Order: sequence, then structure tokens, then C-alpha cells
Amino acid sequence: MKILAIMKKELQSFFYSPVAYIVFASFLMIVGYLFWVILISSRMASLEPMLYNAAFILLLASPVLTMRLVSEEKKSRTIELLLTSPISPAEIIAGKFLACFTLYLVLILLTVQYPLVLSAYSTEFDMGPVYSGYIGLVLLGAAFISMGLFASTLTENQIIAAMVSFGGLVLFWIFGWAKHAFDNAFGQILGNLSIFDRYAEFLRGIVDSGNVIFFVVFTLTWLFLATRVLESDRWR
Amino acid sequence: MIEMTNITKFYDNFRALNNINLKVEKGEIIGLLGPNGAGKTTAMRILTCFIPATSGSVSVAGYDVFEDSLEVRRRLGYLPETPPLYPEMTVGSYLNFIGELRELPAGKRRERINYVAERIGLADWLNRVIGTLSKGYRQRVGLAQALLHNPEVLILDEPTVGLDPSQIIEIRGLVKDLARDHTIILSTHILPEVSMTCGRVVIINEGEIVAVDSVANLEKAAAGKPAWNICIRPAAGKDWRQLVEKHAGAAISDLVEMPETHHFKLNLEKAEDFDDLFRNLTGAGHVLREITPVKATLEDVFLKLTSAEERKEAA
Repeated sequence: MKILAIMKKELQSFFYSPVAYIVFASFLMIVGYLFWVILISSRMASLEPMLYNAAFILLLASPVLTMRLVSEEKKSRTIELLLTSPISPAEIIAGKFLACFTLYLVLILLTVQYPLVLSAYSTEFDMGPVYSGYIGLVLLGAAFISMGLFASTLTENQIIAAMVSFGGLVLFWIFGWAKHAFDNAFGQILGNLSIFDRYAEFLRGIVDSGNVIFFVVFTLTWLFLATRVLESDRWR
Repeated sequence: MIEMTNITKFYDNFRALNNINLKVEKGEIIGLLGPNGAGKTTAMRILTCFIPATSGSVSVAGYDVFEDSLEVRRRLGYLPETPPLYPEMTVGSYLNFIGELRELPAGKRRERINYVAERIGLADWLNRVIGTLSKGYRQRVGLAQALLHNPEVLILDEPTVGLDPSQIIEIRGLVKDLARDHTIILSTHILPEVSMTCGRVVIINEGEIVAVDSVANLEKAAAGKPAWNICIRPAAGKDWRQLVEKHAGAAISDLVEMPETHHFKLNLEKAEDFDDLFRNLTGAGHVLREITPVKATLEDVFLKLTSAEERKEAA
């Protein structure tokens, strides 16, 4: 229940500040433009290019959503309230993650109109890759948010938190390039860490359990580390 | 209720607390007194499980802050130095959030919010956004937050800071009221506050406890020789000084000679000598306009204890 309390409070503060509205507005504007341009130029009823670009926009936008989650509590010293209340750091992190993830799901939901438009007006539109693509997008969002949340626990400066998560996410995004650089086990391992390569498979219509597990483990790992950082603040 | 045993706290190489021992009984109000940086806040943070002590142990209501931190936190209400508020929330939704964190069921939560808001004078302010409140009202919201779950132990770090005089009196009254069924530790550097509200005073300086006692006992210990502030209108052509100086240990200080009257501070060896002196002075035709016994205040105790420490440090 205390997780719900944290989650509710976080969701409220997203909408009390203009941040959520601005992120929503700019994301939907860019995605709408992409959908239109891609559809007009390719004349193909495929959502894959739009989902691919949307993921990259989300990579840029998610640090803005996650940066304040913990760092603002540190700056305004409300963290002292949370850590002296009967609630564990794990519950705090879980509540904050769920709040941001809920917001993300709403954002994703607002793009569902595009596949609906395509399926309504095209003759042979394949919904399969759309379903798998959205599953990928949801998993990707969990990964983005968990890493951003971790970055936010490190500092009381929101800009630093945003930059750390942005840097980290881009790095994981482009890890796959190592596959082409090193034709050995090392390149293979780095390639396996690439969130982009795994997301691309979802876009092709493949829901591979390995990829699903990767995203879940990736998310849980960062959430675990965020909890540890929050706990360790007490020991300093 | 609260027991601190051999608490020492280091921040890197800086020793913030050194071997603190303190026992607080149920229903007591303890005032933590000390200059800035003495370790008051550190001691409170250790009590509230916010930071751990480097060595030593603390128990609250029989639970160890390290082993049973959750049980301790359930029993504590804490108002930190800066009230922990979310400026974008309304007072009501903030208190509701605190109620949820404090595990109060929904019905009980509403009841407690109304009760506490009434007590602290926030009843008409529940719909206001915290960011728009004045410092005094923010402090009240912070206090409401600490009281909400009716905790056994209340830890208040400078609860009256930023309040206006009438609010300060209200809050002091409230703290005194609460002491009946709560144990309270409050820190302050406003000395009259301690004399008025606290049963016992703990004076901390440079991380060490330099005195623990009731206000009255501390004042008595610091008083020293009996002294009076006197305003006298001398009889024309007569000297009052001789009459005064023949008493044992008489010392006149801070003498101010006005055209009509003389003001001075008088110390005597024995308080009984004053009766004689009074008779002699009036008998000789001097008029005593004003006599005030000088009592040592908590200020004197405080300055004596904390500056003595400084001298020791310098030596």
C-alpha cells in the first residue's frame, strides 16, 4: 500500500509541473509528423519505421521524465522524511518506478491511433508486427525508466541525473556496433547487451523469450542498484 | 523510552559526536541546547534512523535503531531542520500522503488530519498549495506531519524557527500539552524556549554533553554569590559608598552616576547582610528607588559551559 502512496504522489507531481505536458506534447508532435512523412514517402502500410523512430525519441525524452524522481527529494531534503518513515528504500524505488512507467504507458497508448488508421484504410495490413512492436516498446520503456531512476539516485542535481541516464542509454543503444568491429566473443558479448538490436527484433514481429528476459533483467538490475544507492546514503 | 549509549559519530575525519550517553524517560521533554555545529542535528538524525552512529547503540521504546529500524520509525514523529514539504501539493493532500506512509487506515487518516489541523491552526488551510504558504505556516505543516500518526516519541529540530512571537507561544503550549502522552526531544538555540517548555536540558558543545539537568538546577549552579541591581537617590552631601563597603565581600560594579540617581550592581558575601545594608542606607536618608535580585539565567549557564569548553580547547 505504501508503494501505491508513493506512486500516487509521484503521478500527481508529474501533472502539477509542466514537465509531463511538455514531454507529451513534443513526443506526440514528432511522432505524428514522422507517421505522416513516412507514410506519404513510402506509400506502405507499415508501422515499423515509425516505431523505430519513436523509440529513439523516447530515449531522448525519458531522462527528462526520470531525472527529478529521486534527485529532487534529495535537493529539497524530503528524502529525510521518506527514509525516516516506516517504508523501505525498495518500496520507494518501486513506487517511483511504477508512477513513471504508468505515465510512459499512457504516452504509448496515445500513439495507438496510427496503427488503427493504417488497419482501417489499407487492404492487407499485418497487425502481427504491430503487437510485437508495442510489446517491445513497453519493455524498452521499463528499461529506459529503470536506468534513469538509477541515475536520479546518484545526485541531487537533476541535470546531472538526466545526462548520466542519457549517456548510459545511448551507450547501451549503440553497443551493437561492436559486432561489426570485433568478429570475436568480445564483440558478441557487447552486441548481446545492445538494447537496440533486441528492440529491432520485436519490430520485425519476433517476440523472442530471450529478448523479453533480457529487458526484464535489465530493468530489475537498475532498480536493484537504485535501491542500494538509496540505502547507502544512510551509511555516509 | 530512549537510550543512547556511547554514541560516537565521525563524518570522514570530523568527530561530530563523542561518546554521548543519554537516557530519556516516557513523558519527558528534553531540550537539546548547543551552539551551531554542536551536534544537535546529528544526534537527532541518529535517533531517527536517518544516519547510523559510527559506534555505540541507541534504542527507542526497546527497539534498536540499527536492528529494528522499521519498528523504531513506526514510533517516531520527526520534524527535521527544514520541514520536508512538497511545494506543489496542497496541505490536505500532503497530510494524506503522510498518513498513507504512516500506515493509517483511510477513516482514521481523515480523522487524524482534521484533529491535527485543528490543533495546529491549519484547519482553514487544508486546500492551500504548500508552495504559497509563509514560512510560519510551512513550519506548522511540518509539525502536523510529525504529529499525524500520534507517535510515542517526537523529535523536533528547532520547531519554532521562523514563527512569529504569538505563534511561538502557541507552539510551545502545544508541545507542553503533547508531553503528557508523548516523549519529546527538541533542539533549539532559543534559550527561553528551553526554560519554558523542557523538563530537562542537555547542553551539547563540540559533540560532547557538557551538562544534563533541570533548568532550575542549572541556574542554581551557575548563580554564585548573591547579587542585586540597585538604583539609589543619594541624600544630599552624604556618601552611600562607605555604608555599602563595610559589609563582607561587598563589590560595586557597573556604576553609573546620573545627576539625580546612581545605578550599580552589588555583590555580597551573604544574602542576610542585605537587610542591614538596606536599613543603614534608608536610615542615612538615601532613597532606594529600585532593587532587583540578579539571578543566573540559562544564558549564563550556556555561555559559561560552552565558552569554558572553548578555552580548554585553545589551551
